[in-house]
Amino acid sequence: MTRENACGLCAAVAGVFPSRTRQYIDAMSNKPLAPARVASEHTELKARNVSFGWEDTPLHWLPGDPFATHTINVLHLLLPAGERWFVHVFKQALPHIRDERLRADVIGFIGQEAVHAAAHDDVLPHLRRQGLDPTPYTAQVDWVFERLLGDRALPPGRARHWWLMERVAMIAAIEHYTAFLGDWILNADELDRRGADPVMLDLLRWHGAEEVEHRSVAFDLFLHVDGGYRRRVRTWATAFASLVWLWQRGVRFFMDNDPELVGAKASLGQFVRAGRQGVLPSTGAMLKSIPTYLSRTYHPSQEGSTAQAAAYLASSPGANGGARP
Amino acid sequence: MTRALKAAAVAGAVLVARRALRARISRSPLWPLPALAEPVSGHAPRRRLRARIASRTEPAQGVVRLVLESPELPEWTPGAHVDVLLPSGLVRQYSLCGDPADRGRYTIAVRLVEDGRGGSREVHDRLAEGGVLELRPPRNRFALEPAASYVLVAGGIGITPLLPMVRAAAAAGADWTLLYGGRSRATMPFLPELAALAASAGRPDALRVVPEDEAGLPDLAALLAAAAPGALVYACGPEPLAAAVLAAAPDPSRVRLERFAPASSGGAGDRPFTVELRRSGRTVEVAAGETALAAVRRELPDTPYSCGQGFCGTCRQRVLAGPVDHRDGLLTDAEQADSMLLCVSRAREERLVLDL
Repeated sequence: MTRENACGLCAAVAGVFPSRTRQYIDAMSNKPLAPARVASEHTELKARNVSFGWEDTPLHWLPGDPFATHTINVLHLLLPAGERWFVHVFKQALPHIRDERLRADVIGFIGQEAVHAAAHDDVLPHLRRQGLDPTPYTAQVDWVFERLLGDRALPPGRARHWWLMERVAMIAAIEHYTAFLGDWILNADELDRRGADPVMLDLLRWHGAEEVEHRSVAFDLFLHVDGGYRRRVRTWATAFASLVWLWQRGVRFFMDNDPELVGAKASLGQFVRAGRQGVLPSTGAMLKSIPTYLSRTYHPSQEGSTAQAAAYLASSPGANGGARP
Repeated sequence: MTRALKAAAVAGAVLVARRALRARISRSPLWPLPALAEPVSGHAPRRRLRARIASRTEPAQGVVRLVLESPELPEWTPGAHVDVLLPSGLVRQYSLCGDPADRGRYTIAVRLVEDGRGGSREVHDRLAEGGVLELRPPRNRFALEPAASYVLVAGGIGITPLLPMVRAAAAAGADWTLLYGGRSRATMPFLPELAALAASAGRPDALRVVPEDEAGLPDLAALLAAAAPGALVYACGPEPLAAAVLAAAPDPSRVRLERFAPASSGGAGDRPFTVELRRSGRTVEVAAGETALAAVRRELPDTPYSCGQGFCGTCRQRVLAGPVDHRDGLLTDAEQADSMLLCVSRAREERLVLDL
């Protein structure tokens, strides 16, 4: 098939599936494969004021499933420190942005992430009141983000720039997973069916919806300031391995220290089973998300739905005055 | 043969290492990551209290009284105020006017300011019984100091911090006089409570109600001249009242004032001030009707901000000098000591120096 023929086919297909397919096809026909943005998925970003009351949320907020509860609870341990770090790094990246719309997006992203960090931070005293003090673990997470991934007193110049780019790329990789999880939680109907606590679900879905809403920003910033494919792969490997490692430690820490559980252990088998039941993301979907991010034509706007996120945000009790749902 | 030996040696070493690692991890499950000595996550002092609106009444024309209930409300002393985080994101300060002994409940009273900046309008129109409000813990910049005799002067809704002071003075057996001015009796809240307090103290003349439509402006000079020597004077009301009390007082060092904060009176308006941007060596004037953020962005258009309402923290900047009138619901006391949110907070005096 000649190239002209291929594009004729493309045009025919694009006529049937207007917006999204055309983007893929444009990307396919470019010789060096480039990330293909779905333009219709862009939206103005703005931090929302939220309010959640934890008075009535039980320790095992997903009834009868401490493992899934704690697997999701690890978010509250990783996110406050992690998102404060995003804000810190992106504020340093702001002067490198030469595109007004991207700058506005990054600033909206910073605002949203700062509110996320504070909202999850508020869950930690609640856990402590229920006899599960997460401090030994969060102090380590704080060390990872404040020291290990901090500014490291580098001299101005190439070393400092390299480290900033490396961290921006790492955030883009992490945001791939936050968007993946955000999309998952918005569609995790099984949690509703099992009677999960409505305030906790609202916190997670508000957060998930904003992650879906701003899922392209970190990747766009990375493309704008660097965009190298080797850096993308390298930082993905670091971020993915660190996330898995930190996460399993967090779950094991929670299961070991839960005052209501005796001799409970976390295991990979439980994770796979919970994924099949739909109370956690399925292992298959997680594995599939790896080649997605590593594809040269990947752009976050191809995944998830901004419309679904916007619909949830419009109805979220926590993001609309804070009444208990 | 040697290959088999080598393989066995390696396998043995791996087994030994694995057992050592397991033993080490089971001794302290969170090994081998270092930890931050002073953890940050989850250790911010509790910034916000949540309270349910237990009742909403109108004790006078244009005044709404809210009773807020929650088991977690901290203690407070007369003269204290709370920052109320309204659902729209506005933050407003209101004096507590209930009884400090009534733990678990706060009472605030809010007068509708027609041409204000929207805070009182929101309280009047949008807050209903059963709703939930967020507050920051009470602070007191108008504390009642011990004295044998007090002269209290209230102008209009300025009665709110003075009402608990009257109770405290009466309970302590101190001598007190309250002059309470307002536009008309119908617009002046808490008159029955005050009359009852004066009556139970056996001194009905301790309460002097001066509605402007019946008796004109109060004679402050006569009141203050008749006060016992050494009496402490507490006054709360609009700026002209505060100025008149200071002018009429025989000893201004015995006067304690709470002017209506611009945020809660709205109509009084914000004062202009100057911001020095030390790193860039520039100075900007912030006009009365604009935010510090807007003024700074004229000089430095890249200054980041997002929510514009004081809750996201994107516009936080370090303050090098000058007292700040903090109006955000986000920063902790420690953070407020050396930084501010440009989008809502202003200078308490004429000048601020920022690290920008």
